[in-house]
Amino acid sequence: MKEERLYEVFARRNREDRFEHIGTVSAPNPDLGRVYAWQTYDEAKWFEMAVAPRDAFDAVNRDEAPFTLGPVATS
Amino acid sequence: MTMTSKTDAWTKAAQLPEAARAATGDLILVLADNKRVLGMRYSDWILGAPSVEAGIACSAMAQDEWGHSRILYSMLRDFDFDPAHLEHGREAGEYRNSELIDSPADNWPRLIALNLLLDTAMSVQFEALGASRFEPIHYKVRKLLEEERFHFEHARGWVSRLSGTEAGRQALREAFEPVWVSCLRWFGPSDDAPGAALAEAAIADAGADELRRRWLRRVGPIVHAAGLGLAEADGDAWTSSVAVEWTDWDSSARRPAGNGGSAGPDAATLASVRGDKNRSLLLD
Repeated sequence: MKEERLYEVFARRNREDRFEHIGTVSAPNPDLGRVYAWQTYDEAKWFEMAVAPRDAFDAVNRDEAPFTLGPVATS
Repeated sequence: MTMTSKTDAWTKAAQLPEAARAATGDLILVLADNKRVLGMRYSDWILGAPSVEAGIACSAMAQDEWGHSRILYSMLRDFDFDPAHLEHGREAGEYRNSELIDSPADNWPRLIALNLLLDTAMSVQFEALGASRFEPIHYKVRKLLEEERFHFEHARGWVSRLSGTEAGRQALREAFEPVWVSCLRWFGPSDDAPGAALAEAAIADAGADELRRRWLRRVGPIVHAAGLGLAEADGDAWTSSVAVEWTDWDSSARRPAGNGGSAGPDAATLASVRGDKNRSLLLD
C-alpha cells in the first residue's frame, strides 16, 4: 500500500535490561506503527517497547541505510 | 438521590439490592455477548485485511475480545447463570450483542467503524465500573482496558489513514453513520431504569446520559477531524449531529426488540461463537 513506512521495533523485558531490536513493521502512520508493533511482537510480557521509523536512522560506519541487512541475531 | 457508601464493598451477587443485582447480571451478559461476537467480527478479517500487519492486529483483537468474554461469562455463575450454557447452549434470539455485529462487516471501513465506535462504547462502560462497589467486576477492568487501549489506537490510526482521500472519507461516511446511530443508543435512554439502578447502587459511576457524553468526548474529535460530520464540539463537550430513535428498544438486551430488530447473530456466527463443531471436545 502506498504511504507505508517501515518502523523498527525495540523492546526490553525488564527495567534493568537493555533495549533489543526485535523486528520491523510496515504501517501507514505512526499510530498504526505502534499498534502493529505491540500486537505483532507479543511473544513476551514487555516492560517497555518503542518504535522509530527506519528512515530516521543515520548510517555511521557503512554506506548502506541502517537495518537493510536485517536484524542482528541477539542470542 | 442518595448514593450508597462505597466503603462497604460487595463481593457476592447475593449481597446486591434486587434491582441492582438484575441490572448487573444483565450488563455483564450484554458485555460478554458483545465481546464474544465482536471478536468473531475481528476474526473475519485475519485474512484479507489491507496489510499483513492489519490482519495480525485483527487476530490480536479477536483473541483479546474472546479472553474478556470468557472472564465475563464465568462471573455470571454468581448470578445463577450456567456459564457453559451461556457460551455453548443458547439460541440466536437469546444473545444480547449489538445488532451491528449479527453478521460480518462487509468492508474494511465498516470494521473500523465497529472498532472505533462499538469497541469504545464498551470501554466507556467498563471504565464506569472501574471503582465499582461490586468488587469482582472492578478487579477485572484494569487489565481489560490496558488491552483495549490498543484497539482504540488501531481504529484511530485507520480513520486517519482512510480519511486522507475523498474516496476514503466517502467510504468512512457510509460505514460510520449506521454504526454511530446504533452506538449512541447502546447506552440506553435518559430514563433508562437499569442504568439508574447501577448508578444508585454505586456499581457504575454514571448512568446512560453521562456515559453517552463520555463516549462522544472520546470519539467525537476523531470523526470530526476525519470530516465525517457526525459530531460537533460544544465547549469541552461533544454533541451528535444525528438524533437517536428509541422505537422498540430493549433495555435488558441493549438492542432493538420485536420488528425493529433481527433475530440475533446469523447462523454461521452463532455456530462459530458457540463452538458447535467442537461440542464433542468440550471438557467443562
